[in-house]
Amino acid sequence: MAAPTRAATKALRRLPVPRPLLQATAIPVAGAATTPPFAAQAQQPRWHSASASSSVNPNEVSHFNALAAEWWDPHGSSRLLHLMNPLRHDFIRSCLQSSDSAPRVDDHNADGTVTYLDIGCGGGIFAESAARLPSTKHVTAIDPTPSVLSVAKAHARKDPLLAKKLSYKQSSIEQLQVPAEGQGYDIVSLFEVIEHIDDPGAFLDKVRPFVKPGGWLVMSTIARTWISWLTTNLIAEDILRIVPPGTHDWNKYLNEEELRGFLAGKGWDSANVMGVVYVPGLGWKEVKGSEKVGNYFFAVRKV
Amino acid sequence: MASSRALMASPRFVCRSCSRQARNSNPYRRSYATASSQPSSQDIYDVVCIGGGPAGLSLLTALRANPTTSRLRVALVEAQDLSKTASLSLPPTQFSNRCSSVTPTTAQYLNTIGAWRHMQRNRIQEFHEMQVWDGVTDARIEFDLQPGFSASTGNVIAYMTENLNMTSGLLKRINELGGVDVFDASRVEKITLGEESEEMDLREWPIVHLQSGKSLAARLLVGADGANSPVRSFARIESRGWDYNRHGLVATLELEGDGWGGEYHKTAYQRFLPTGPVAMLPLPGKYATLVWSTTPENAVLLKKLPAKDFIALVNAAFRLSPVDLAYMHTQATGQEEELAWRTQHTPFDSRSIPQLAVGVQEGSIASFPLKLRHADTYIGERIALVGDAAHTVHPLAGQGLNQGQGDIQSLVKAIEYAVAHGQDLGTQMSLESYNSERYAANHVLMGVCDKIHKLYSVGSGPLIPLRSLGLKAANALGPLKNFFMEQASGRGLKV
Repeated sequence: MAAPTRAATKALRRLPVPRPLLQATAIPVAGAATTPPFAAQAQQPRWHSASASSSVNPNEVSHFNALAAEWWDPHGSSRLLHLMNPLRHDFIRSCLQSSDSAPRVDDHNADGTVTYLDIGCGGGIFAESAARLPSTKHVTAIDPTPSVLSVAKAHARKDPLLAKKLSYKQSSIEQLQVPAEGQGYDIVSLFEVIEHIDDPGAFLDKVRPFVKPGGWLVMSTIARTWISWLTTNLIAEDILRIVPPGTHDWNKYLNEEELRGFLAGKGWDSANVMGVVYVPGLGWKEVKGSEKVGNYFFAVRKV
Repeated sequence: MASSRALMASPRFVCRSCSRQARNSNPYRRSYATASSQPSSQDIYDVVCIGGGPAGLSLLTALRANPTTSRLRVALVEAQDLSKTASLSLPPTQFSNRCSSVTPTTAQYLNTIGAWRHMQRNRIQEFHEMQVWDGVTDARIEFDLQPGFSASTGNVIAYMTENLNMTSGLLKRINELGGVDVFDASRVEKITLGEESEEMDLREWPIVHLQSGKSLAARLLVGADGANSPVRSFARIESRGWDYNRHGLVATLELEGDGWGGEYHKTAYQRFLPTGPVAMLPLPGKYATLVWSTTPENAVLLKKLPAKDFIALVNAAFRLSPVDLAYMHTQATGQEEELAWRTQHTPFDSRSIPQLAVGVQEGSIASFPLKLRHADTYIGERIALVGDAAHTVHPLAGQGLNQGQGDIQSLVKAIEYAVAHGQDLGTQMSLESYNSERYAANHVLMGVCDKIHKLYSVGSGPLIPLRSLGLKAANALGPLKNFFMEQASGRGLKV
C-alpha cells in the first residue's frame, strides 16, 4: 500500500481513481507539493540560455531540493512512480514485439545491444532499470535540474553493475548533440514529461532526430478529461488542498488524439497505446480504454 | 561456466581461500578501513545464500534453472561439508531419522527445477491414505481417496522422504547446472555493511565475512540459516513465539509387514494423545518413520529404554488408553511384558492402526524441542529470510519443509520479476511481493497447527466431547474432508 503521505497526494493529483471518496479518506493533510521528474528551474536560467527556444519551462516551479532525498525512498513521494516503472518495461516490450525488425529486450541471453536516451530522467528510476536489463547496451539519461541529477548519480553508485552501462548528463534536449542522419538511440523515453512542456508539438519535433530509424519514441502522460480534472485538480488542489493550487496545469495534459496530431505526417508509424490505472492495494493495472480518461503510455516507431 | 568453482570445494577453491588468508594475515581484523580492502568485483554477488538445507539449495537450484535468473552471480555458504551430503549411500534397509512429508505441490516444484529426478526414487514412499484419531475418545477421521480428488497426481497425499535424499538430489542438480560458487565447510565469522569507495557505494550491501578470510558482498543476502538465523539477527528482525514444552522424538522403525494395504497402498497414521500427537509415516518396504511429540521427561525415558521396551511403548502409543500409556512411562523397564498383558484387555481394530513395530534402527532415536516462532517480517533492505529462519512450526501437520519450499517458489518469482523489469532485486521494493504473499499464508497455517496442538493437549473436561463431535462431523462430511486433505497435500486454497 502507498504510504499515506505524499504518495497519496500524488495519486489524487495524477490519477483517475475509481472511487475518489474512498481514496480521499486515506489522505492526511498535505505535505509539500511534488513535481514530476522533469521540470524546470526558474532559478537556473543558464540551462536554457544556450538555446532561445528551450523546451524547459521557467514557470514550472521546482520542489526538487525537498524531493531529492525522497526520490528513492520506496515509501516516499515517488512510490507510485516506482510501482509504475515495471509497466513501462512491459509496454516497451509489447511495442518491440509488435515489430519484427526492432531490437528485442526480452531475450535474457542476448548480450546488450539496445541503446536508450531517457529525457527528463529525474532521480533515475527508469534509467537505472533500463540499464540493468541484460539486453541493454547503454543508457544516456538527461535532466536539466542539477539537484535531481546529483541524486541520480549518487544512487547509481549503489549498484556496481550500472557504472558501465549508465551515464547521466545535465542537459536539456536542445543542448544535446544531435546524432548523424541514420544514427540515434533505439529507444527514446519521455516518462511523465510531456505534460510539463509548453509547446509539445515543437518539442516532439526536436526529439525525433535522436531516435534511430526503426527505433521507438516512448512516453507517458495523463489524458485531459473531466475525471483527471476532478481527481488531480479540483479534489486534490482546490477542495482538500493537499496539493498547493496551481501545481498541476490541467490545461497542459494531453489526450491521445492530440499526441497523434502532433506526430501525424512527420515520419512516425505503428502507434501503440496502453491505459493504466492505479488501484489502491493492487498497484498499477493495465485497463483497456483507460487511456481515454487518465494515465497512459504511448509510443510510435520512427520510419 | 565456472564448473571448476561449482560445488564441492575443488583444489582451486582451497588455494584461493588459502592465498587470501595469507594476504590478510589477521583474519579477525575489525572492518575494512581503506578503499583497497573494498571487495573486488570478484566478490560481488547478486545472491548470497547462507544455509545449505532444503530451502537454501532449492533457492539456488531454482535460480540456476530459470532462464531469466540464470545470469545472476550466486553463492552458497554452508557450515557443513556438502560432499558428504551429496553422496547419499545408505543401504536400502537403512533410513535417516530426519524425514519429511513432501506435498505433491512441493514435489511438482522440485520436478520443475529439475531436482526430483536426482533424488533416489526407491527411498521415497508416497502414501494414499491418512488415519487420524483422538487418543482419548477414539473419534476418528479417515482420509482416503475421494472421487474426483486430484487424479492428476495419482491420488498421492504426500511423499515421505529423508531430508538427506532431498538435499542430495538438489546438490546433484546444482552440480549439473553449474555456476554456483559453493563455500562449504565455511563458517560465517560476521556480517557487516559495506563501505564507500571511489568507484562504488556499498554502504547498504551486506558483506559476509567467512572465517577463511574471504568476504562476499551481497546484492541480496538470503537467510536460509535455520531457526537461530544469524542473517535475521544481522537484519535486526525479531522472531516471536513460544516453546511447547514438548520434544519431537524421531526414530526409524521396522514393521511386521509392508502395511495393511501392501506395498502399493500405504497409510499415514496419527493419534492425538494428551501429551501430543504421535505419528507413524510409511517409508519404502517394511519401514516407517516415527514422529512423537511428547513431554521432555518422556522423551528422556524413551531414549534411555532398551530397544524392545522402546518398541513396546511405540506400539502402546497407537493402541492403549492414555491412562495405560502414562503408567507405562513410569516404568523404568519391562514395557514389553506390560504391553503384552494390557493388549489382551484393550479392544481395538488392528486394521485401523499401524502394523506392529518389530524393530528400531540403531542410533535413529533422537529428539528436539518443539517451538513456534515467526519473524516479524521476512524482508529487509537486501535481506530475505526463508524456511525456518522465517518461521518454525509444530511438526504435527508435516508442513515445515513444504512451507520453506513455498517461500522459495515465491521468492524466486519476485527475483525473476525484478530481473525481467530491471529492478534491483535486493531492494525492499522488489521483495515486497514475497513478504506479502508468504507471510499471511504461513501465519494462518502456523495458527491452525498451534490450535490443533492445544486442543488435543487437553486430557479431560468439556472440550473432549466437543472436539470428538467435530472430528466425527468432519469425517461424515465429504467436502470438509476434501478441504483438509487438500491442505495437507498442499493443493488446497491458498490460505
